[in-house]
Amino acid sequence: MVLAELGGKITKALRKLQETTLIDEKVFEDLLKEIAKALLESDVNVQLVKKLRENIKKTINFEELAAGVNKRKLIQKAVFDELCAMLDPGKKPYQPKKGRPNIVVFVGLQGAGKTTTVTKYAYHYQKKGWKTALVCADTFRAGAFDQLKQNATKCKIPFYGSHLETDAAKIAEDGVEQFKKENFELIIVDTSGRHKQESALFEEMEQVVRATTPDDIVFVMDSSIGQAAYDQALAFHNAVDVGSVILTKMDGHAKGGGALSAVAATQSPIVFIGTGEHVDEFELFNVQAFVNRLLGMGDVAGLFNT
Amino acid sequence: FTSMLRTITGNKVLEAEDLAPVLLSFRQRLMEKNVAVEIADKLCESVSASLLGRKISSFATVSATVKKALEEAITRILTPKRSTDILAEVLAAKAQRRPYTIVFMGVNGVGKSTNLAKVCYWLQSNGVNCMIAACDTFRSGAVEQLKVHSRKLGVPLFERGYGKDAAAIAQSAIASAKESGVDCVLVDTAGRMQDNEPLMRALAKLVHQNKPDLILFVGEALVGNDAVDQLTKFNQSLTDFAPDPSAPPRLVDGIVLTKFDTIDDKVGAAISMVYTTGQPIMFVGCGQTYHDLRKLNNRTIIRALLR
Ligand SMILES: Nc1nc2c(ncn2[C@@H]2O[C@H](COP(=O)(O)OP(=O)(O)OP(=O)(O)O)[C@@H](O)[C@H]2O)c(=O)[nH]1
Ligand SMILES: Nc1nc2c(ncn2[C@@H]2O[C@H](COP(=O)(O)OP(=O)(O)OP(=O)(O)O)[C@@H](O)[C@H]2O)c(=O)[nH]1
Ligand SMILES: [Mg+2]
Ligand SMILES: [Mg+2]
Repeated sequence: MVLAELGGKITKALRKLQETTLIDEKVFEDLLKEIAKALLESDVNVQLVKKLRENIKKTINFEELAAGVNKRKLIQKAVFDELCAMLDPGKKPYQPKKGRPNIVVFVGLQGAGKTTTVTKYAYHYQKKGWKTALVCADTFRAGAFDQLKQNATKCKIPFYGSHLETDAAKIAEDGVEQFKKENFELIIVDTSGRHKQESALFEEMEQVVRATTPDDIVFVMDSSIGQAAYDQALAFHNAVDVGSVILTKMDGHAKGGGALSAVAATQSPIVFIGTGEHVDEFELFNVQAFVNRLLGMGDVAGLFNT
Repeated sequence: FTSMLRTITGNKVLEAEDLAPVLLSFRQRLMEKNVAVEIADKLCESVSASLLGRKISSFATVSATVKKALEEAITRILTPKRSTDILAEVLAAKAQRRPYTIVFMGVNGVGKSTNLAKVCYWLQSNGVNCMIAACDTFRSGAVEQLKVHSRKLGVPLFERGYGKDAAAIAQSAIASAKESGVDCVLVDTAGRMQDNEPLMRALAKLVHQNKPDLILFVGEALVGNDAVDQLTKFNQSLTDFAPDPSAPPRLVDGIVLTKFDTIDDKVGAAISMVYTTGQPIMFVGCGQTYHDLRKLNNRTIIRALLR
């Protein structure tokens, strides 16, 4: 399972803490070092790990700790809280509103899982009774429209796209216009994969956004991404108004630490995670549950109440 | 004066405590450049072991000495231990009147199909007749994606649609290629997670049933620590799910490192992948057009990592 290994390591480090009778600065330092290593092995950004260490050190002031205070509990809670805080940008995700068209544009790096995820997202809302539709504004990738068409057809979701038109912004605009007229409530636009180093690709994304005036822009990120996550996520955030993040391929072995980078860079919450290639392998994201899993703790309450 | 000079240049023996802080900062740098933690640790350990007790002139700083040793270690890792001359191998197969077969494998979305098309373009421009075999029978649009490439490249596509057994399609494709005198068959496979046992079994079946000449693992330069696990488990699956466990194992022969244009100087995945397999990077994908395929430049990697 994703994160299991990291969870194991952090739990081990925390357990060591429980086994140590005397917790002094050395033990504390060692613990922080171990936790930092586990986070780095999960692809958390090197700078973010540094920050986390500093924050925890600030929270736990050894001099001030009264003799009677349970230091273990304090340190454990500080690590947990700090990870939760990093995953919570303090901003509520966009909630689509019933009875009017909501336009959502998906963006992200090449191969992140956008086309797969737009269908999962549409299917999730369709099951809850929303009138959803898909627009394929990827005019670049070979077979992109066929991919979306086949996925949408399997789920009986109306779709719009073209094999001939090469202007992504035009397709996006036309598709959104058509579905608006037909009173669709959730109109989801899939776009080509792109990266910050190629400015023409970012310009195209900005054009699609201008042409569709979306209510939300979802940044899709592969959970196996390494240290490049932060820079790429930041570039997307700076170019368009990213409002939510979806983390994909969480069924793999990657520990998903890049999630922290994506949240930090986009200042946007993670709303869903993808856990497989099939349309129903899609889950709502919950910060506490994610960190529990990150730390390998099924029952946090239990841990903190001992 | 001479005695004074001697004291200044007097040799210094490197001790663990001289090396530790310097290695720590290099380790940090390697990780920032996206080298997997495990690999960064191993690199630093080996450099430490090679330098401990060594005498350096006091003009040389510990940092410069460590840097040089790291550079050497990385160069050693990146230097291929086997031939990377695919064209020569294709010609050799042709002399035996059989098509040379390359299988592309890797996790989801890393660029297998696109870079297969780039390799096809490169082979064609070197006079090799290619055929593409569409053995991703799962992902929506996978066949149509290759149809577009085969049309643009002017090469035949062997496909049997979706839902069929990939190993059997590869086999038919190779047979058909042999019949029509094709020099090289490029086999595309579906992306799969390295922990997904049924899918890994199916991939091993495709390999063992068809005995490709070259197994290329496609990995993206964006990948973090998972690179090590991906390669370890793809190799492990090829071994574990072999029909004849006593036969010599058939493992990944080389790496295609993709999306190299998306990572600036965070080039560490190259090191993680080569270190894990001991196999060379055969191609570097650095863009989304057919021209964006390069050979690895060791100097570029070293400069980016240790700058
Ligand atoms: N295992 C797994 N695979 C996934 C998941 N999400 C997407 N994929 C796979 O990842 C690969 C790439 O997905 P796509 O949806 O084509 O990615 P994309 O972002 O649209 O790609 P481009 O349009 O080329 O940028 C496909 O093989 C998908 O089946 C997931 O949650 N788990
Ligand atoms: N920037 C960049 N993008 C690339 C490169 N190679 C492939 N891509 C893009 O990555 C995305 C995924 O490529 P595919 O070839 O479909 O990947 P795949 O591994 O076959 O995907 P699945 O079959 O779904 O597992 C596409 O948008 C490609 O254009 C590269 O070297 N650089
Ligand atoms: Mg797509
Ligand atoms: Mg493919």
